[in-house]
Amino acid sequence: MMEERKTKDFPRSDSASGSSDQVVRTIGLSKSFGEVRAVADLDLSIPRGCVYGLIGPNGSGKTSTIRILNGLIRANAGRAWLLGEEVPVHVNICRIGYMPQEMAIYAELTVLENLELFAGMYSLNKESLAQRADALLDMIDLTERSDSLVSTLSGGMKHRVSLACALVHDPELVFLDEPTVGVDPELRMGFWDHFSDLKRAGKTIVLTTHYMDEAVRCDRVGMMRLGRMIAEDTPRGLMESTGETHLEDVFLHKAREGSA
Amino acid sequence: MNLVRAYAIALKTLRSLKHDRRTAGFLVLMPLFMIAIFGYTFGGDIKDVDVVVVDLDAGSANGSVAALIREDLAGRDVLRIGTSEDRDEGMNAVKDGEAWAAIIFAPEFTVRVEEAIEASRTGSSAAPATVEVHIDASNPNIAQAVVAELQTAVQAVLVGYYGANPAITVSEDRIYGEDAEFIDFFAPGVMGLAAMMITFMLSIISFVRERSTGTLDRLLATPATEGEIVGGYALAFGLVALVQSAVILAAAMLLFQVSIAGNALLVLLTIFLLGIGSQGLGFLLSSIAKNEFQAVQFTPLILFPSILLAGVFWPLEAVPDLLRPVSDFIPLTYAVDACRSVMIRGWDAGEIWPQLVVLAGFAAGTLLLSAYSLKKRG
Repeated sequence: MMEERKTKDFPRSDSASGSSDQVVRTIGLSKSFGEVRAVADLDLSIPRGCVYGLIGPNGSGKTSTIRILNGLIRANAGRAWLLGEEVPVHVNICRIGYMPQEMAIYAELTVLENLELFAGMYSLNKESLAQRADALLDMIDLTERSDSLVSTLSGGMKHRVSLACALVHDPELVFLDEPTVGVDPELRMGFWDHFSDLKRAGKTIVLTTHYMDEAVRCDRVGMMRLGRMIAEDTPRGLMESTGETHLEDVFLHKAREGSA
Repeated sequence: MNLVRAYAIALKTLRSLKHDRRTAGFLVLMPLFMIAIFGYTFGGDIKDVDVVVVDLDAGSANGSVAALIREDLAGRDVLRIGTSEDRDEGMNAVKDGEAWAAIIFAPEFTVRVEEAIEASRTGSSAAPATVEVHIDASNPNIAQAVVAELQTAVQAVLVGYYGANPAITVSEDRIYGEDAEFIDFFAPGVMGLAAMMITFMLSIISFVRERSTGTLDRLLATPATEGEIVGGYALAFGLVALVQSAVILAAAMLLFQVSIAGNALLVLLTIFLLGIGSQGLGFLLSSIAKNEFQAVQFTPLILFPSILLAGVFWPLEAVPDLLRPVSDFIPLTYAVDACRSVMIRGWDAGEIWPQLVVLAGFAAGTLLLSAYSLKKRG
């Protein structure tokens, strides 16, 4: 597991993690795959009700971070807490949603059957499933296609089903790994509307993207490069501190600083 | 037809093989594996069939004909001969499945042989002497081999020592498999083979897909435990195996008049356990396969040994010594044996429990290993 725990000085677990409003917190999180350092000494602190964007190019460690937080891989060092519980999370796991980078839904099942499967994983009863399914199908605008096999849907529709599966148990913290990659601009707008709705409902969203232009819509942005966090602030704060007008330029600016 | 484009397609195809080393190696090694396994297996004759000889022959002043026949049988390796002094003990060994046949020489055997030879010399008539063979014909190949071997020995002794012929008959009595034909023998084997192969393939392909599409990760990020995921699959594919075997059983009964001497539910239980174990095996191998193409390559590796070495079409006694230990490691061997014992011999759980224990161990072992391998994350 986390054999080489960091001896870094941090407050005792309760206040470090938990009852405070930091729904995601990591200290010195590190992960290597052989020689490659995917995540290096990452400190994260994400407040409740925030739309947080982890941005950076492919291979910068965004996905590895998300996978560690969801218990799919184990960190080599450092600690992490979700909703006050140390990762890997067990007690609070029903309050967390995860949409992986791949489509990750069953193409050979119908839209509704996919929702039913994931509802089953969270032990939702029939009535709450029916309610959630109706609301989610409405949200992703696929009510008419609920009995269609996923394999017959367009790419954009599949993306929306995948998002719905991550939200079926009404989680208060949602991880979305590249939710908008390969999604057309119109649908992307729709996705961001969903995210705003979730935020309004008090949910916390952690998403990764390499579209810097859409990261502007996040409340806070963490820029990752080669496993390290090179900058973190509100999008406005990042632009002001570097004097750039696009997040893309902020990233390049910070990347130059880092390698200089 | 543009040859340049066809050439480009050919080049691309060979190149992709070059990059997939495992597949390239498979293409070369698979034929070797096949020729080796088929060659060795077909090269094997039936041997070491366990039989019990009950020699009650009192002999005559000239010695014992039964002893000569036994000596002749022992000189070859088709039969592995155990002895008993008691008729019932010999028959029970067959009933309990410890021996395939009991060969019984009556006390007056030699006397009868000599009378028959004398009679044929003088032209009068006398009934020939009889060797009784009480046989378990649940495996027709073996039953034939035993009877043929006994006939050969009788002929050899008569011609060699007495220079006379029709003095002895072999009287055959079937303890099991009274009306057994080859289809009765095949049906349980085919049922086991089908259940094993289908669940194995369904499982390995499903899990390769679960891994490559990310759905497995997604399931693991929910409260579902590794055991629940693996157990859920086992339940589904165990049921698939059950439905399949029910179909095969029904077809065998209706189309081929195969009869089931024992309890059909016991057959289904056997197949259910085999199906669960096979799906577990499929899961374990799915973690080594990077894509569906590599997954498919495991199929012949599992399929051919199962066909050839598990006693599906040929008795285990025909598997050459070199490969006999392999048969003991193939779960299908135990499933086929158990199904055959129930269907032809009419055996009950009390007799096939060792096979059931092996199959339950196989199922439990692959499931636990599967759950453990999911739990162990990098």
